[in-house]
Amino acid sequence: MRSDTTGFWTPVALSADLPAGTVIPARMAAGTIALWRSQTGHIAASADRCPHRGMSLSHGFVRGEVLSCIYHGWSYGRAGNCLRIPAHPGLTPPDAIRVVTHDVRDTGGIVWVASGIPAGDPPDLDGFTPLRSLTADADRAALALAAGAQADEDGRLVTNIAGQDLCLLLADQPEGRTLIHVLVRSGSDAAARIAASRSVERLRRMAESASHKGGVQ
Amino acid sequence: MKLYDYILSPSCYKVRLMAALAGIKLDLRAVDFHPGLEHRGPDLLSLNPAGSIPILEDGDLVLTESSAMLAYIASLSAPEWLGRASAMETAREQQWLAFSSRLTATLGGARLHEMLLRPGDIAALQAGGVASLRELEAGLVEQRLAGQAFLVTDRPTIADIACFPYVALAPDGGVSLDPYPAIRLWSRAIRSLKGFIEMPGIHRLHELKPEPHLEQDEA
Ligand SMILES: N[C@H](CCC(=O)N[C@@H](CS)C(=O)NCC(=O)O)C(=O)O
Ligand code: FES
Repeated sequence: MRSDTTGFWTPVALSADLPAGTVIPARMAAGTIALWRSQTGHIAASADRCPHRGMSLSHGFVRGEVLSCIYHGWSYGRAGNCLRIPAHPGLTPPDAIRVVTHDVRDTGGIVWVASGIPAGDPPDLDGFTPLRSLTADADRAALALAAGAQADEDGRLVTNIAGQDLCLLLADQPEGRTLIHVLVRSGSDAAARIAASRSVERLRRMAESASHKGGVQ
Repeated sequence: MKLYDYILSPSCYKVRLMAALAGIKLDLRAVDFHPGLEHRGPDLLSLNPAGSIPILEDGDLVLTESSAMLAYIASLSAPEWLGRASAMETAREQQWLAFSSRLTATLGGARLHEMLLRPGDIAALQAGGVASLRELEAGLVEQRLAGQAFLVTDRPTIADIACFPYVALAPDGGVSLDPYPAIRLWSRAIRSLKGFIEMPGIHRLHELKPEPHLEQDEA
């Protein structure tokens, strides 16, 4: 865990897993957020609660450049301001109606969300390319033990499994779970990528059985 | 072609969905599955001694396994929904069709427990559901790495239809779909297919529906 108090970037999803015109839930240690990408490719992150009646905005949908709530259709822009209330089509929603938003970056094929005010940019991935994300019902320590390597303060763990370099970006989740973004050396071919995916499944199984709670997540 | 059907049954929905995608019209016969347990009464047991639905009747043919129904409907009028281009496709299709019965047993069992209060070991059903979802996710990740968006090849087949409903309804059984990005993309791809039909709890992509209030400018 980082010791600086200004803020840090959490890797929440692979860019490829959030195509244009979609919204997904992303879990941060502090709670769930709604992560979405507009039709023209702009990314945004907001609290996962609609200010109207509390519906999860990650259950909503993206049309054009706005995120709409599935419940009564209130729509929000990237800056979090409410743009439209379908039950009152003539009304321009007051500026006071808004959702909390988070600073978000899309770099290196990873979507990063800010907690607090990070001092710099998200970390560089030094020649690694994202492969897939998966969740383990095991904490960082159990994953480090299974991988035979420790994560650095950014949650980045580099290991070598069966002759292949893998970089795992670890993000803590509620209830002792860990979100793992798997990265392989840029330029790895399809066979190497499939092998990496299988290696990490195996690593997760080892970490979970060491934590005596395999398969609950 | 007559389908003994229950609107809230994911297994029956597989057959309705495949028929819609294939452009076949089904003669639907509603079964009082809940609370009447009509599928366990003498008339339906004489059609299907296993006491389950769906049941598909076409002339003398009586089918009681949804995977067989999907294969029948596709063979009749939508052969492009069969993965038959290579030994590999045939094998993968059979693999996922057989796998789909594990989704029924685990996620379907958890859903019956939570929605219809059927007795059962809910923790074991949910754990089995999670294990199945992880297996599906891994399979879809590997397919994507090979440039293919669906379970068998780069177009949807009956194997996708066989797996889709119980997965989409997993949250009804208390199993979250949040940790599975590949499943999420696959589910979106299925829900945006031309000819896709809904069932309660499984919706077409909302953003593909027409904007409800066109009179007001977006900004
Ligand atoms: N024969 C299997 C079984 C399908 C199945 O499990 N159907 C459920 C309804 S969704 C059922 O009839 N269960 C019997 C019961 O719960 O009494 C299939 O066609 O896929
Ligand atoms: S709860 Fe979101 S619009 Fe009503």
